[in-house]
Amino acid sequence: MNTWKEQLADQIPAEMGVLIDTFEAQIELRKQGKLDEKVFAEQRLRKGAYGQRYDNGQRHDGVRTRELSYPSGELVKGPDTLWDAPGMQRIKIPYGGLTAEQLEVLSELADEYADGILHITTRQDIQLHYVHIDDTPDLMRRLAAVGITTQEACGNSVRNITACTLAGVCHDEVFDVSPYADAMMRFLLDHDDVQDFGRKFKVAFSGCAGHACGLVKMHDLGLLAQTREIDGETKRGFTVFVGGGLGTVPQQAKVLADFATEEQLLPLAQAVSRVFARLGEKKNRNRARIKFLVSKLGIDEFRREVQEELKTVPHDDRHTAYLDTLGDFAYKPAKAGMALNGTPLPDGFSDWYRTNVYHQTQSGYSTITLNTPLGDFTAMQGFQLAEIARRYVGDNIRLSVEQNVVLRWVADADLPAIYRELCEIGLGDAGAGTIVDITACPGTDTCKLGIASSRGLTAELRTRLIERINLLPDAVRELKIKVSGCFNSCGQHHVADIGFFGNSRRSGNHKMPHFQVVLGGQWQENAGSYGLAVGAVPAKHIPEVLEALTNRYVAERGNDENFQTWVKNLGRKEIKAMLQPYMKLPSFDDKPGFFSDWGDSRVYTIDDIGVGECAGEVVSLFSLEIARAESAHFEALLALDEGNYPLVDQQAYKAMVLAARALVRTKYLDVGDDYGNIVNEFRSRFYETELVYDRFAKGKFARYLFKRHDQPPTQVGEDYAHQLIDETQLFIENIHSAEQRINGVIVS
Amino acid sequence: MTIVPNRLGVKFNLKREPAIAAADIVPIFQRWIQEHTVDGMLIDVIDYKHVPEGPGVILIADEGDYAYDFSDGQVGLHYIRKRNLPGILSDALLLAFRIALGAALCLEDEAPGDIEFDFSSAKISFLDRQRYRNDPSLYAALQDDLSAILAEIYGCEIALERAYDDPRLNFALRVSAQSSSVDGHKLLARLSERPVSVQ
Repeated sequence: MNTWKEQLADQIPAEMGVLIDTFEAQIELRKQGKLDEKVFAEQRLRKGAYGQRYDNGQRHDGVRTRELSYPSGELVKGPDTLWDAPGMQRIKIPYGGLTAEQLEVLSELADEYADGILHITTRQDIQLHYVHIDDTPDLMRRLAAVGITTQEACGNSVRNITACTLAGVCHDEVFDVSPYADAMMRFLLDHDDVQDFGRKFKVAFSGCAGHACGLVKMHDLGLLAQTREIDGETKRGFTVFVGGGLGTVPQQAKVLADFATEEQLLPLAQAVSRVFARLGEKKNRNRARIKFLVSKLGIDEFRREVQEELKTVPHDDRHTAYLDTLGDFAYKPAKAGMALNGTPLPDGFSDWYRTNVYHQTQSGYSTITLNTPLGDFTAMQGFQLAEIARRYVGDNIRLSVEQNVVLRWVADADLPAIYRELCEIGLGDAGAGTIVDITACPGTDTCKLGIASSRGLTAELRTRLIERINLLPDAVRELKIKVSGCFNSCGQHHVADIGFFGNSRRSGNHKMPHFQVVLGGQWQENAGSYGLAVGAVPAKHIPEVLEALTNRYVAERGNDENFQTWVKNLGRKEIKAMLQPYMKLPSFDDKPGFFSDWGDSRVYTIDDIGVGECAGEVVSLFSLEIARAESAHFEALLALDEGNYPLVDQQAYKAMVLAARALVRTKYLDVGDDYGNIVNEFRSRFYETELVYDRFAKGKFARYLFKRHDQPPTQVGEDYAHQLIDETQLFIENIHSAEQRINGVIVS
Repeated sequence: MTIVPNRLGVKFNLKREPAIAAADIVPIFQRWIQEHTVDGMLIDVIDYKHVPEGPGVILIADEGDYAYDFSDGQVGLHYIRKRNLPGILSDALLLAFRIALGAALCLEDEAPGDIEFDFSSAKISFLDRQRYRNDPSLYAALQDDLSAILAEIYGCEIALERAYDDPRLNFALRVSAQSSSVDGHKLLARLSERPVSVQ
């Protein structure tokens, strides 16, 4: 076994294997210049392979902007994105749920393909940084072999579906939303109806209205667990929210449906997707999220569109099939639940117990949160953690939107022992969920859009706060801080008590890193309200600003007055006045240190900001689908080189069917995957109407498909294989030409 | 066995805990980029000092990364060659060893008397679980060949042992020169005389 592909062939689910093989073929096609860079970029993003800062080949080294001469020269993996430039691999972890084995494989990948660090995102994903694009197919295969996909982790599609980390063990939940999040993830993954979005689409589930975990009101589609009495029977369902989002234009989601039953859940999500694909903005990426469509139409009209669309959604057994297996979604603790009684407690245990331990609804069990600094842990810690998990909790590992690892189903009697072991591997810090547990996006460390160093600031604040955590009043300890490197809000600064997002100001001839201060956002009630921006402060003043704010809050707050209320009562004008002394810009000569960012000794510049890939590429559905056909054709060519003629036949036929499907779907989205249906639809819609006819060859190329479809070969030899390859190429070219004639110039 | 792994790491540990803080390494690495102090197409500096026993501060380069590294509870300079490895294992080891050694000596120059490496031993990591599973039988099969290569690099007898018993971890070795002292500059001068062709 010389390759991971060979070694893992039996362990990778067939559908996932095909997607990865297709992507590997697209990598080769792109290298040969046979696949458009924008189409490849969108395909790459849909596999979670993202660009990173400096991948345009330029970096300011503090003195001058220097060219980074990557060995692949001009070859790009997207617009202004050089092939050899290190990238980020985002890995979807639906509802943050991981097994010990999956954690080990993730750790192996961090060790072998990245910089040795696993980073937890605010969407319960894992990100690996500094990954080479050539390594990604094997990386994906190793994940697929343990049931993890990167499919649609980025790009204009359905991103990781998030849910409360306490789902299934929570005292407040209506019911466990995990199996529903799992079902929706499986249903929408690579679904035809989520391929033609103008922007990304984020879905979240929450088990209760009051607490924060699910954050459904800031999502494109939010599902809040509810039950109703219907015909004397208690029915499970969801309040459905739509059109929420943070970013530059934060909006609270609107209620699409007060109550959708569990049977209605997946068809409703599919209908929403179809409306978004059909009516959502495609050209202006800044207004392409579903929140803009909901605002434009109004929630009532949007709801009417969804109701109409529901009537056209084809029957699909999967809409309700998952309900039969809900009972299989049972948790298997590693040990029997047992109370914590009389065990000697290690030093530091009490502080940790107070902040990091949650008593589950199941007697004798707790959920513990590992205060994971900046969401980072090493590959070695990953292996150690998997070992600890196996012994104490089994496969009950989750990742949280606050960038922490969570272990569920810890027997209470084991808490002192597990605490000791977590301390030994550097993950035993107290303070989870408190002011020291700060959330931050990658910012200028690795993000192309980063304006200021969110992680540098977070590391600095964390260090200072930990030093005096025991001196802080409870009211301050309980505050949440969240930091974003720019206005796009990946650090979720809008829903923190104290949020910061990066920007810059000019002083003399120099730029200075700043953070806009955002106060009074609400984490509770599923991100119930967003904070107020009160002014931009030089980055190096932020620790003093934090101290001034918290001191005044403690001194002036009324009995039980929380931070949101205090901010509201104090008012923007008074807060601005409080910040004013810190907003003055020193000159470069007076304070040169203010012209460098936290954790970065270079003189600050905004010259390194690039074009982000969060929005994906605006590529037509046809371009994406025809790229799949071309990948299959490429696979056929490889098979021809290997003398594997039956495989040539299989791949070439597939390529023709996929090309036909690409054209059919421009007129009929619901054609499905059945080869017979596709060929029939192609024949009636494009061949018999002569729409696909070439000016000179007429219907000759289309007949290549019909010939192969109607008369499969009984024997496949070399001559046949060569001929089929050539015919497939001509057919694909014919489809390209026809599409341009019929639908106008491809948007690319 | 002469298969070259996808990635190859060489780490030299410091003789003692230095007075210099990890945060002070960031400007050093940034300056190395400006002045092109070490080998490779240098890209950026990333700071992971908040992670216990982690890679510390990394100078990212196209061909290989340099880390002021805290793994295994020991501070050191860890060079991981990622790309353009020579096609022969002895050459690949020599190249990674030589670049790591050169970078470690540069770091010593930044804080003379404070940062001081023990060049008489090193950790060699084979970051490629497809070809190098960490199991005792593989080590037994490779021990003689690897000992010969590493003895040639050091120019003296060496002792070799597996760094980790855990089969999940990467295949890594600790090599120790059986010599009273190893002078890094002399070793680098000798290794630099040997040509290595990269792919």
